[in-house]
Amino acid sequence: MKVHLIMTGLAVALIAGDAAADDDVIASRQGAIVKLFGAGVGTLDSYGSGVLVSAEGHVVTVWNHLVNTGYLTAVASDGRRFDVEVVGTSLDHDLAVLKLQTIESDTFEFVDIKNASDAAAEAINGQSVLAFSNVFHVATGDEPVSVVHGVIACQAPLAAGLGQWEFPVKEPVYILDAITNNSGAAGGLLTDAGGRPLGLLGREIRHRETQMWVNYAVPWATLQPAVTAILSGQRVAASNTEEPDRLSVGHLTQRFGLTVIPGALERTPAFIDRIVPDSIADRAGLRRGDLIVLVDDRVIKSAKQLRVALASFRPRQKISITIDRGGRLEILSLRMPR
Amino acid sequence: MNVCLLKNRIAGIFCLVAAVCTGAVCAQDLSSAERQQQRVRVIEQIAPSVVCVMPATGQGGGSGVLISADGYAISNYHVTSGSGDFMKCGLNDGRVYDAVIVGIDPTGDIALIRLLGRDDFPFCKVGDSDLVQAGDEVLALGNPFLLASDFSPTVTYGIVSGVQRYQYPANSYLEYTDCIQIDASINPGNSGGPLFNIQGEWIGINGRASFEKRGRINSGAAYAISVRQVMLFVEQLRSGRIVDHGRTDFTVKTGADGVVEVAEVSQISEARRRGLRPGDELISFAGRSLTSANDFKNIVGIFPAGTRVPFTFRNREGVQKGTVRLKPLHEFDAAPEIPGGPPQRPGGQPQPDEDGEEGEEGENDERPDIPLQQLMSPPAPPPPAKYAHLFEKKKSFANFYFNRIATDRVLTPLKERLATDTPAVRSWLIELENPANADGAVGELMISAEAAGLLGETWPVAHQKAGELAADSEPFEFYGLLAGGMEWFRLFRGEREQYAEIIYLGKETLFGTQTNVDVMQMTSDSQTARWYFEPGEPLPVGLDLMFTSGADEARLRFRDWQSGGGLPWPAEIGVVDNETEQLMWLKVNSLKGRTASVQGDRQGRAQ
Repeated sequence: MKVHLIMTGLAVALIAGDAAADDDVIASRQGAIVKLFGAGVGTLDSYGSGVLVSAEGHVVTVWNHLVNTGYLTAVASDGRRFDVEVVGTSLDHDLAVLKLQTIESDTFEFVDIKNASDAAAEAINGQSVLAFSNVFHVATGDEPVSVVHGVIACQAPLAAGLGQWEFPVKEPVYILDAITNNSGAAGGLLTDAGGRPLGLLGREIRHRETQMWVNYAVPWATLQPAVTAILSGQRVAASNTEEPDRLSVGHLTQRFGLTVIPGALERTPAFIDRIVPDSIADRAGLRRGDLIVLVDDRVIKSAKQLRVALASFRPRQKISITIDRGGRLEILSLRMPR
Repeated sequence: MNVCLLKNRIAGIFCLVAAVCTGAVCAQDLSSAERQQQRVRVIEQIAPSVVCVMPATGQGGGSGVLISADGYAISNYHVTSGSGDFMKCGLNDGRVYDAVIVGIDPTGDIALIRLLGRDDFPFCKVGDSDLVQAGDEVLALGNPFLLASDFSPTVTYGIVSGVQRYQYPANSYLEYTDCIQIDASINPGNSGGPLFNIQGEWIGINGRASFEKRGRINSGAAYAISVRQVMLFVEQLRSGRIVDHGRTDFTVKTGADGVVEVAEVSQISEARRRGLRPGDELISFAGRSLTSANDFKNIVGIFPAGTRVPFTFRNREGVQKGTVRLKPLHEFDAAPEIPGGPPQRPGGQPQPDEDGEEGEEGENDERPDIPLQQLMSPPAPPPPAKYAHLFEKKKSFANFYFNRIATDRVLTPLKERLATDTPAVRSWLIELENPANADGAVGELMISAEAAGLLGETWPVAHQKAGELAADSEPFEFYGLLAGGMEWFRLFRGEREQYAEIIYLGKETLFGTQTNVDVMQMTSDSQTARWYFEPGEPLPVGLDLMFTSGADEARLRFRDWQSGGGLPWPAEIGVVDNETEQLMWLKVNSLKGRTASVQGDRQGRAQ
């Protein structure tokens, strides 16, 4: 193993010598990344990254809690700030496509992912790469996002996850010999040393067998059909038999105006993290910090059970919600939305 | 922190990568090999200037870099603060040298130390950190995990991830402004070590890193203090002081469309006197154009307190210019304690474990960037006997020895030069000529310790008493001539006990000129004088006199000192207009010492 250690050092040093990319290339790629800001809960960050894929402001990012909790804003590399609408998502690709709420005159630098397959087809293990992202929220306002250099260690399917969450992409991903997947990096851009797009930086997750944090990116070639489908208005079918939309955290936000602390674990209790003013939840009297313990007579032990329970009622049906507020139980009534 | 544990962990991670990466060598080509050769040569050149900084007890340590042949070296404040007044420093020649603390900048996390025992130390070449761009290759040298027992520094390679980064103060005061973000591996022990560009020029001091879920080891985002900022402080650090950072008397906020809007302006501030008001647009500060409040914080943060900086702003009338002197930020009386650990969020988040192996419920600090502090040690042993005299303890100094030596260096030649003066002289009568005046009428400037007056046909008549400055008693056109003149008189009387405090501030470039000057600060009850001396010259080239009342400074310049056996006098006195920064020179025809004082009112002037 000692020999390997030394050789690794050598390999990285030699190949990384080529990583010195053109400053213009770096600046133009930094210009195609947006910094995303939303709601962070518990251990989950309130910031992330996204890649602009059209001049009109379509953004591709990872479908994580940030997208689900709503209230997303995007800050472009020149400091312009936009509200964000979710165009579509794909569970199988761990992908969300967003649209910046622009006025007609707004245009953006973007990454042309239609041509991304060329670079991807040539991608080889040991190749130098650059990763662009809003890592650790270092860049704010009009400051360009961070860029780090590394090497493609291999291209392989990834068995990884975090808590109950399993990484859904079955196709090979780029495994990177660089610490790219930090807080806020999900949704960033991986390019080759010449700035040609290779993939979308993934989440902070651990390998299931080794428990090591994995640095990976999903190849654009894998994402592109789903992105194209979403942009053309199609719904991307999920291979999963569950109904992700109706059970998603974002669904609760949209329909009821409440956000619970995301269920990183199976038994994350249904604590309310946010209430949208003047929403159904607000009018019912729900408040931040309330723990939902019963929906009608059903015991709610987790955020997931809350979503399942709320998905089972008819529109306009009146239900009761029992909450624990500061140690006292209170019963509120709520009418289901249309 | 357990260093061994970290070492083991690193080995584990690399082994895993090795398993997937051994096939990677194939991508090398000739140019890569050449670049590697080049790198090896550069590293050979720069490694001798890299210092391993250790407490005298020999426990823990950090890094530093030599900047001069006489042994001055830069490190992080958070490295030296736990290392005692005397340290041990290892170089890559394998030898250990004694070193003494010289000056500290706690806010900027910089310390100046001096290695002892040689006058031919190897030192680094200073680069220009303002030219650094994202993507540039960099080399970080230092002493991570105290790995090298022969003090040959560890080298890590990376690229610049971002420039002009602002890193919020960790705990209370360690603030990284305008810093360089890198992806080269930076770990505990790298602190204070140099960052070089690929040509081997020194561009920064590695001091902080983002540590988060993965424990206190490199996570791909580290921060170096720019060499520009270090060089703005280094000449002041030589004074042995606790050097403070600057702040402004106004605040800004980011407005719409990349406009920086002035939020509040203090009522008695210089900025307000220059016309700055809430709602105005701040266009540039210290020569940098601004697009956000962060830009502003970045640029303000790289200057020492007391620096005069230009700014431009836009109000209803158009674009305006002005200058302000930066106020002290913290005014530390003593070297502040280094925060013990990572910043504590108000919400009381759990801290990362020592071994960084917390589960999914772990740390999510919004400000994960903490100083790369090493183990701090038990009480230091007594300093080496032959160097013990090089340290003097005094309130608000890191090492008063260096201040005392510098004060004597500047003021002793002045005193010797003025030895011909006699105590019997109670006042001066100076005959002035204004080249801008076509009529050639001369003015009479009378100065004593108690009062000063100006008289003359077509000259503004004015009279000023010592003590509290009456701003409107200064002559129109030559604001500051009387108050500055009295301070000049006091300096030349040479009685140090008449000042509350005399401090050597360090060297700076005299504002508005290219002249490098030593700055002496002399404090009295209601005013503070900054006297400027060109190195090696006994007589001053300028004075800026600041008033606690908040009136504009009296700013005089002197040139072409004459001596006719008696008291030396300048051929010209310059008056700086605070509004326009214009310098108006007045010709001095003569200076006569008189035994009569200047009386306390206009009628009773010298006969």
